[in-house]
Amino acid sequence: MVAALFMSSNPHVSLASVSHSEPVQREITRLCIETGLMLLQHGAESALVESLTRRLGLSLGVRSVEVAILANAITLTTLSDSHCITTVRRNVDRGINMYVVTEVQRAVLAVEEGGLDRERFRARVEAIKPQPYPRWVVALMIGLSCACFARLAQMSLPATENRDWDWMGCGLTFAASTLAMWVRQFFGARHFNPLVTFFVSAFVATSVAGQGVIYKLGLHPKIAMASCVLLLVPGFPMINSVSDMVKGYINTGVSRGMMVVLLGAATSAGIILAMSVWNVWGWL
Amino acid sequence: MNTLFQLLQNMALAAVPAVGFGMLFNVPRGALLFCAAGGALGRGLRFLLITAGMPIEPATFIAAAAVSFLGVYIAQRLRAHPKVFTVAAMIPMIPGVPFFTALLAVVEIQRHGLTTELFATALTSGLKAAFIVAALAVGLALPGLLFYRRKPVV
Repeated sequence: MVAALFMSSNPHVSLASVSHSEPVQREITRLCIETGLMLLQHGAESALVESLTRRLGLSLGVRSVEVAILANAITLTTLSDSHCITTVRRNVDRGINMYVVTEVQRAVLAVEEGGLDRERFRARVEAIKPQPYPRWVVALMIGLSCACFARLAQMSLPATENRDWDWMGCGLTFAASTLAMWVRQFFGARHFNPLVTFFVSAFVATSVAGQGVIYKLGLHPKIAMASCVLLLVPGFPMINSVSDMVKGYINTGVSRGMMVVLLGAATSAGIILAMSVWNVWGWL
Repeated sequence: MNTLFQLLQNMALAAVPAVGFGMLFNVPRGALLFCAAGGALGRGLRFLLITAGMPIEPATFIAAAAVSFLGVYIAQRLRAHPKVFTVAAMIPMIPGVPFFTALLAVVEIQRHGLTTELFATALTSGLKAAFIVAALAVGLALPGLLFYRRKPVV
């Protein structure tokens, strides 16, 4: 009785497990790890990957699911009738895609509510396609976003400066960022290393915005130079890194954080190269 | 009046990057509206707190926590994890300029040798960026740390 109470308060172990033959347990293990891998590849934080994978396994009827997430792999063990099955998958980053994360989560919720069995869950998850927004729309929206960042920076200037709308500066930021985003998409689609992509994009953005300093366009051309590279700040990995570490996943948190610093360093190298080529020193 | 106008301008200008980066993160179409609302709310609240005299780091923390609690409420109706749209809402508050300033100052130290000004720039900008990112991430994690300790949000 005491043992049962203790176990029911432990969310890692299911009391409602049923006996499975080995092929069925193997199938459940595969479904679990493929779900976890899909979430990890599309930018979910470690806590979400672990909890959804475990919930899926428990609702499909194994007794417990243990997940270990490494920097670029995921390993998973299911326990059923005191038989263990362990498997490992390599994790290749597919880029942040919240649509995939949402759809996978809804499929897991449907299994938990009893609406899906193993076969239908597999069919539903395999049918999820990334469905990106049209590239030109994203590029224009990112350009517009950086123009907004430029305006926000103009607003927070000290009171001694002119804080009026600097349309020229915002327009220059828009042009530089849209072009840089197009370059980023172009290189990304050809599977270049992200570090190379960020380096080239930063060079393009700073080269365009640097013309504003050379020809003295607008009120604050240096703000345009600073704002046009903000599309290259890896904001999502930054937040994921800290929240992983706060929730106890130190190793994935550190590896995500290191990637953020490397991407930042590649971007800085691109900025420095552009500033040396055009001989405009807008940052420091 | 001037503060109110600035507040509205801040909120409108923050909503655009939240949606723009939401599209980059491929947030589902139905949740883009919540990215915009969260971005505007977070940046607006932070602006008010800073105007009232609070330092930027605690102001960021409170703004992120407010967006996160609202995100939990919406997430349970949308049947999606709150991070799906709250991270895009945090983008207007990400300290991008201090982050790059710190890294560029390090490169300049390497190129031209150590000066007190460059070292101070590198250290203060880097610390500012790190503290604001930590405030954002911990603020976002607050509902889980306080209320959803043993049960999932969705």
